[in-house]
Amino acid sequence: MESKIKIGISLFSLTPLYVSRKMSFEDCLKATHDMGFEGVEIVAAQMVPEYPNPSDEWLEYCKEQITKHQLKLVTWSAYVDMGIRSDRDLTTEEIVQYTRNDLIYAKKVGAEIVRTQHAITPEIFRKMLPFCKELDIKLTIEMHSPHHPDVPVWKEYLDIMAEPETEGYLGVVPDFSIFQYTPHKLAIDSYIAGGCRHEKLKQIINDHNEGLSAEEIIAGGDYSDDEIKSVHDIKHRFNAPAKVDDFRKLLPYAPYIHGKFHYLTEECSDPTIPYEELLKMMVEFGYEGYIACEFEGHSFEEDPRIQLKRFVTMVNRILKKF
Amino acid sequence: MAFESFNQLLVCDETITNIKAGNQEVGYEFKIQYPSYRGTFLSCIEKITVKVDGKLIDNGQIGFYINGKEVLIDELPELFREYWFTTDYARVRVYGSGLELESKHLVDVFLRHRIPYTGYFGNYMVEDSVCTKELEVV
Repeated sequence: MESKIKIGISLFSLTPLYVSRKMSFEDCLKATHDMGFEGVEIVAAQMVPEYPNPSDEWLEYCKEQITKHQLKLVTWSAYVDMGIRSDRDLTTEEIVQYTRNDLIYAKKVGAEIVRTQHAITPEIFRKMLPFCKELDIKLTIEMHSPHHPDVPVWKEYLDIMAEPETEGYLGVVPDFSIFQYTPHKLAIDSYIAGGCRHEKLKQIINDHNEGLSAEEIIAGGDYSDDEIKSVHDIKHRFNAPAKVDDFRKLLPYAPYIHGKFHYLTEECSDPTIPYEELLKMMVEFGYEGYIACEFEGHSFEEDPRIQLKRFVTMVNRILKKF
Repeated sequence: MAFESFNQLLVCDETITNIKAGNQEVGYEFKIQYPSYRGTFLSCIEKITVKVDGKLIDNGQIGFYINGKEVLIDELPELFREYWFTTDYARVRVYGSGLELESKHLVDVFLRHRIPYTGYFGNYMVEDSVCTKELEVV
């Protein structure tokens, strides 16, 4: 069975090149096409001039550039910047205003989906449904580590998404960070740089992968303070909050997926997130949306395109198996 | 990428220029960039301090210029509708006297900024960014 899964990219993945002005917005689109991606996600707060109120001229320019580089603008990535005021958090009305505007700009620029954040609240999420219907655009909330489907607020969100009237309009963007169960290379490098001994760290990670608690790991070895610190950091950051099977619960409401990663090996694989199992579930489900690469391991020292090309290779290789 | 990795962007690798009114030098300016993967609202800037050659500049002497407007550092917390875009340079204008042409100066900027989407548990992440660069006056 040939998969209908498409490969996209969050332009966030090119952050170091963009923020250091080595690449313009247009350069990012060209690079995206050249690397083999089809769909694009724009993080509006990052790459949209005059944000949060971009001009029609820029939105038109954006559409032209997307067409010129033979891409499809899939997602307009929005924020719930609750804390912009120094005296109080944003009110419901203010969050509605920002979100409604994001839906309008996304529609104008030709995106199909707006990604927002879970801080939107169930009340406001539901309140946006008429706007989504009016504009025929999807509003999705990203589920990012440390969240998972059993977090109380997410149970509320998933209940809303399951209602027949919200179908096709309100959904979720599962971010694969929720399935990250063990430290990636960048974290391991930082632990070593922070004073951990190689052999001790290897033991800590093995114990963590075996399911031992922080207390059990620490009790089982003669560890330095830096190593004990790394145990707590690993337990805090790499504890795979969601079970792999949870992904099946999310797929019916997920028009878009974040293929998060921090480091892919030279063999184009991620030893820290179960990509093969997750992609297999997508194929079995008959998924037809995008999996968008969201590379978060970038630095100013290494060209992110090395990792992004590996992502395309990895996904294509895995999909061919099913 | 951790927030601190962006600190190197804070003081731009550009030059210091003197501010002139007619033939009179009334100060100097240099450029700074918001040190993050995205832009921010000016109200999220909780503190800025500027040192030039180790000497702390009084905030009352500084004009913060962005989006065609110059504001005082003390006004920043009120500007919750004014956005500092990712790749836009703000100009730090230090009023007083100009600096000698072709001289080099150590510019040190400290920026304390709130990350406005992180207040899930009532407290927002607040980052301290520091950057020091030697810039030439042209």
